[in-house]
Amino acid sequence: MSYPSLEEKLAALKVSEPSDYERSCLDAVSPGDYEIGVQRTADILDEGYEVFMRSSRSQMGVAGDSIVAMFNAQGDLVNASAGTYLHAVIPPIVIKYILKNFRENPGIADGDIWYTNDALYGGIHNPDQVAIMPVFFEGELVAWTAALSHTTETGACEPGGMPVSAKSRFDEGMNLPPMKIGHDHVLRHDVIEMFAAFGLRSETSVTVDLRARCTTADRVRVRLLEMFAREGKDFVTGLFRRMLIEAEQGARKRLASWPDGVYRCATFSDSAGTEHGLMRNCFMTMTKKDDTLHIDFTGTSPENGSSYNAHPQAVIGHLANYIYEYVFHDLPISSATFQPIDFEFPPNSMLSPAPNAATSCAVMAATGAMSSIANCVGRARFATTEWRQVTASLGNGGNASVLAGVSQWGMPFADMLAYTINTEGQGARSHSDGINAYGFPWCAFGRAPDVENMENELPMLVPFSQHWPDSGGAGKHRGGVGTAQLWVTHHVPYVIFMSIADNSIVQTPQPLFGGYTMCTCPGLSMEGVDIPELLRAGDEGTLDLASLLAGKYGGEIVSETYARTARPVMSDQVITLGISTGGAGYGDPLDRDPQAVEKDVTDGLISEWSATNVYAVRFDERTGRVDQESTSAFRREVLAERKARGKTWDEFHEGWSRRKPPEEVLNLYGSWPDAAVVNPLMRM
Amino acid sequence: MPNTIHVAEYLDLDVDSERWHCHSCGHDVGDARDNYKKGLLIYERDPSEVHPPLIDGEFTFAPNPEWIRILEFYCPGCGRQVETEYLPPGHPITHDTEIDLDSLKRKLASGQLRINEHGKLEVAK
Repeated sequence: MSYPSLEEKLAALKVSEPSDYERSCLDAVSPGDYEIGVQRTADILDEGYEVFMRSSRSQMGVAGDSIVAMFNAQGDLVNASAGTYLHAVIPPIVIKYILKNFRENPGIADGDIWYTNDALYGGIHNPDQVAIMPVFFEGELVAWTAALSHTTETGACEPGGMPVSAKSRFDEGMNLPPMKIGHDHVLRHDVIEMFAAFGLRSETSVTVDLRARCTTADRVRVRLLEMFAREGKDFVTGLFRRMLIEAEQGARKRLASWPDGVYRCATFSDSAGTEHGLMRNCFMTMTKKDDTLHIDFTGTSPENGSSYNAHPQAVIGHLANYIYEYVFHDLPISSATFQPIDFEFPPNSMLSPAPNAATSCAVMAATGAMSSIANCVGRARFATTEWRQVTASLGNGGNASVLAGVSQWGMPFADMLAYTINTEGQGARSHSDGINAYGFPWCAFGRAPDVENMENELPMLVPFSQHWPDSGGAGKHRGGVGTAQLWVTHHVPYVIFMSIADNSIVQTPQPLFGGYTMCTCPGLSMEGVDIPELLRAGDEGTLDLASLLAGKYGGEIVSETYARTARPVMSDQVITLGISTGGAGYGDPLDRDPQAVEKDVTDGLISEWSATNVYAVRFDERTGRVDQESTSAFRREVLAERKARGKTWDEFHEGWSRRKPPEEVLNLYGSWPDAAVVNPLMRM
Repeated sequence: MPNTIHVAEYLDLDVDSERWHCHSCGHDVGDARDNYKKGLLIYERDPSEVHPPLIDGEFTFAPNPEWIRILEFYCPGCGRQVETEYLPPGHPITHDTEIDLDSLKRKLASGQLRINEHGKLEVAK
């Protein structure tokens, strides 16, 4: 085997040296023409992105959890349209691998369709799949195009593509190294049949999404060829190289204004697949020097025997989610923007596991990295004129639920329910609250499906969708709240349900500058209540999360971890209460405007309990409005109490440094407290 | 105008004296070459005091207090909650911000960086 080493992967992320020909083409791109050329690439990619969403079948594909990209002939990412920034910087690893290993056999030719979903070779996890096409102009390889998206079935040991019970990569279904699946612009029928076989649980989604990727990559290829024909090879070649140069310059300029220094963040999670245990799922040390960043993950917990591991380039992809959304938001999605950033991964950590590791839940393993980058960058950046871009961490819960079975239309299906993951709360911003139900931290432009669409596509009833009170972290600026949806099996005898998460015992994101993070997310279902019958009866009242938790409609709440292995749920029974986490809070809650607290209570975004006990707001019992005078006095009392009860550093450490979590919850952690590898991990 | 940078919501850095100060009340929080948290008061909370359990059982919407605690860092001068950190009991407190003062002073002196009227760093034009 010749899968790329960590060093080769990191090297492939760097922009290739320009050839003499490329340098000579730079002069062909004059100011004005350059800007028009850049916009043209964006227009081509946006068209591709639209084609992609309209051609996809799975909920994630329709939601826009995808990216469409173009590369120069060497495989450097020049520009992309997203979707999700998750795949923004890593496809060059795959293209450069193809160029290095397969140029002679099987050869790279016009009309090829290449494909991979194997994270060992440069992807995120095997549900994330990419179709890649070389672009030949007048017989010469001049560029590459790619279309990447998440498909929710891979033929793994559980439905949905992200099996929580997988122990090694051999439990994860289809893992295709980079391979040619079509030639002469035709997708091979035997390959389609292979996809159908691996996707037996959801053949339509798998094969339609496969074709959607190929169609999209080809559309971008065709448009690029039109551009080459119209503008000339010298111009497009020079344009691509200048875009890389300018993107790198833009990134370096941005970093240069931050104060040099070292910024750190430690985050934690509570499970690896079905095994519970405390993990330091990220220990990030970010060193900023001049116009460069060095990001070191040393101190992150060891790899584990579940699917909650992530290969290093997958971790970098997760950092791109935040970096393109908040830091390089005005720069092209390009290999060059990451040129000033270097990475260090400790071997055998959960962020750099062995080749045989299961990584299909890499998105869970990387939540700590996603949260830590927001925290470290926020601390480095607040001192600058860019302070308004500083935010507390997004929710980064990724509480994903999968349904499978045979739909009310008689079609086998396995799909991820896109609503919950696409309605997480945004982290509180340095100047305002986070947006409620802002979206999917993995896919800034993803769209939550309409309930009617969900009920039409899947055999389920969705009696309510609502903001979830107190799910956003408290603070001077509140984290955006997440949502709750009730899901009931409908129209079919049963469905298979499973879900993925790691935030039922502890939450991963750290808050920022004195705020609090969000509450944990239990996995909830109900027994002994017939929801369809309740709806048919039409009694007065409001069916919502609070009324169900309070037992207003009877039944018994069953509380587990949010991550649950596959199980059947019979007709008209509650599948689960799908909840999406809110965003982390920013600043001291005592600094929050009392009127904003009152409005939050009125709008159902926080509870009266939080208003009183966390925000220290007093209300006039007669009017229900804020009592400003009483609130001010109460807050002065709390400030004084803090000064009285707080301990100095030395006093605090007398007791604190002798403590430790219970030994039985440190099974996944590594050595205490530095999280180093203790024992080698054996996988079958 | 003092050579002061507003480095965090509740933290200023006096570049000349190399001291951290509370942004709200000006209290001297300590040596800027050291962890600013050493100059703050620390209080440990059971997370359920901020995230109350909403249901019975093991998984309640509240973090498990045996696994994780909330550390609150207060300004000794005004009581402002400068920082919070969710840590397992006994876990070392994170030294989250370690500004390279020598580099900062060098860049300010050379004119590469300047501090604007709002106490924010910007690259000199």
